[in-house]
Amino acid sequence: MSSDGENDDFFFEDEYDDASDQGEMMEDIDSTSEPDVYDALSPALEEAPQRKPYDVTWKVKTLQEIIDMQNKEITKIQSVLEVPASSAAILLRHYVWNSEKLQEQFWNDPAFALNEAGLSPPSSPSTRTIPLPQSPSRRSNRSIRSGPSSPIRRTRSVVTSGPFECPICCMEFDQQAINKHTYSMGCGHRFCRDCWTEYLSGKIKSEGESAKIQCMESGCGRIVREEVIDELVEKDISKRYHNLLNAAFVADSPNLRWCPHPNCEFIIECSQAPSRMLNQIVPTVGCKCGHDLCFGCGYAASHRPVLCKIVKLWEKKCADDSETSNWLQANTKECTKCQSTIEKNGGCNHMTCKKCKWEFCWVCMGPWTEHGTAWYQCNRFDEKSGIDARDNQAKSRASLERYLHYFNRWANHELSAKLDAEFYQKTEKKMEQMQNSGNLSWIEVQFAKQAVDAVIKARTTLKWSYCMAFYLKRNNMTELFEDNQRDLERAVENLGYLLEQNISDTESISKLRQDITNQAAYVQKRHDILMDDTLKGYLERRWEFTVDI
Amino acid sequence: MSNLAQARLHEERKQWRKDHPFGFYAKPVKAADGTMNIMLWEVGIPGKTGTIWDGGVYKVVMTFPDEFPTKPPKCKFDPPLFHPNVYPSGTICLSILDEEKNWKPSITIKQIVLGVQDLLDHPNIGDPAQIDAYQMYKNDKNAYERRVKQQAAERRPK
Repeated sequence: MSSDGENDDFFFEDEYDDASDQGEMMEDIDSTSEPDVYDALSPALEEAPQRKPYDVTWKVKTLQEIIDMQNKEITKIQSVLEVPASSAAILLRHYVWNSEKLQEQFWNDPAFALNEAGLSPPSSPSTRTIPLPQSPSRRSNRSIRSGPSSPIRRTRSVVTSGPFECPICCMEFDQQAINKHTYSMGCGHRFCRDCWTEYLSGKIKSEGESAKIQCMESGCGRIVREEVIDELVEKDISKRYHNLLNAAFVADSPNLRWCPHPNCEFIIECSQAPSRMLNQIVPTVGCKCGHDLCFGCGYAASHRPVLCKIVKLWEKKCADDSETSNWLQANTKECTKCQSTIEKNGGCNHMTCKKCKWEFCWVCMGPWTEHGTAWYQCNRFDEKSGIDARDNQAKSRASLERYLHYFNRWANHELSAKLDAEFYQKTEKKMEQMQNSGNLSWIEVQFAKQAVDAVIKARTTLKWSYCMAFYLKRNNMTELFEDNQRDLERAVENLGYLLEQNISDTESISKLRQDITNQAAYVQKRHDILMDDTLKGYLERRWEFTVDI
Repeated sequence: MSNLAQARLHEERKQWRKDHPFGFYAKPVKAADGTMNIMLWEVGIPGKTGTIWDGGVYKVVMTFPDEFPTKPPKCKFDPPLFHPNVYPSGTICLSILDEEKNWKPSITIKQIVLGVQDLLDHPNIGDPAQIDAYQMYKNDKNAYERRVKQQAAERRPK
């Protein structure tokens, strides 16, 4: 661009010197080689011994690495387009870090690209803001304002002619104070520094804006540069601003995701789980903080073997009141007069509403008086409307029962998982006991801990397998799935039972140890079989669901 | 009350008295005891000549928050107005009055009232705020125009 003299006037730099921060942008980081998405399915990537075709590879990144990633992109664009670093950053953010698209647009029409991104030169108002209605006012007529001889106070010429009045707070600044107390970006709209500080702090603190903060002039789309913000606002607000910028970067990148666990500041990078693949894979990844998460949906634990979309449906179903209303529908009726909800818990069909004293028949819902002498036996029972009503109720009852069947098992395993901590402590005590009474060494009692780990892992998987089963269509595959599920569940319960055993004498310890070790290995095996079969099933499109995925 | 907001509003008042668009009025509300509340303004917006709004002067109450001019004033037709972008309460739905849309601290009272005047005859159908006016505007232009003209006659200054 510098060799191209005529284009130079596209860059109306702000009053800050961009050159100063170019130095620190230069930290070179190795490019993280990003394997192709389809590699997730190719056997070539199986470096690790346990890698399965449905597993994904990922990297855990620190915040600094994320900052470096951005700086690297910025430096690249900066040198390719020959623009200052902060302009490169604004351009990249506008084009959502898609540097190819940015370069294409830029070389097509540099002025347009800069304008779109909010780096408009002074003479052209932004195209993205709605202009105010025309009026003879000095403020809404731009052609007058930028005219060289106009006495308008806000143009750059102001600096050399008379005192300046900030159009926001109406404070006056004389010649000497203008440079010290007022500030104007490349677009030429000048305001006092106090107003700038107030405005920027408000935008950052109360509205959480970062990359899209515009000039204070109405209709001006000029984006405020990083270094301008750093200079004009307090340290803590500037820090928040940079945090927001980083958060936006991570949110904008399909390959990045924050670890959702509290107080964890790591970021996961994974290029093998784009959203279009999420109907085939469940990209569970592990963060350095020690927790699992799902890269696909951000669920703060492993939800294998269930697809992200089904997890969402399930969570919604469990959370909202749809099932409550289902229960109401299945078990209650409304009084035909005052609409109070009534649950019939015994007695005959002659109902008297407690609230409004209305007497009606529970079966046909008609007024009791019409029953005449047919006491306690509704002779309208066989009428069509009555049969329909009963059918509806039966159906709704069956669907509720089905849901509750799966939900109870899901919730039960969820609860068991929550009792982990307790279980761990108990096991620790038991291990101590074994060390003391059974002449076993520390290393020899570790089998108990391993068994507990296996139980917890299997329970998490089992929990989700019930969610999976709820949404599966009834067919042969589903039956096989439920067989696997049953085997794992039985194995887990057996192991759980063994772990609860009391240790009485030395002899039984060695036997118990043998049993637990065997059973734990069996649980692990059953777990792997279930997981393997289910996840492979997605790739083979073996599963049919009752909902669209 | 913030000093910045007050200083700015006093200055706006000064500018308005010096020069304001024809047919408009804008002044801070006086309390019963004669004291002036600079944070609460009463504004009159005339319908543009040649439009169906012509003849009426529509009263708007502008309430300025302490954070003004970082935050926009709340503008409310009093009484509420039959117009697709005016909520049943009278509150005006306009992008330059929305902090999260096009509000900028540099927008003046003059710009706001001109913007509202412009909105009268150019309703924004993508952003309806009341059902009555919106549906009539969409389905029966003639009835809409009749209704607006009637409203203009009702709001003619005495």
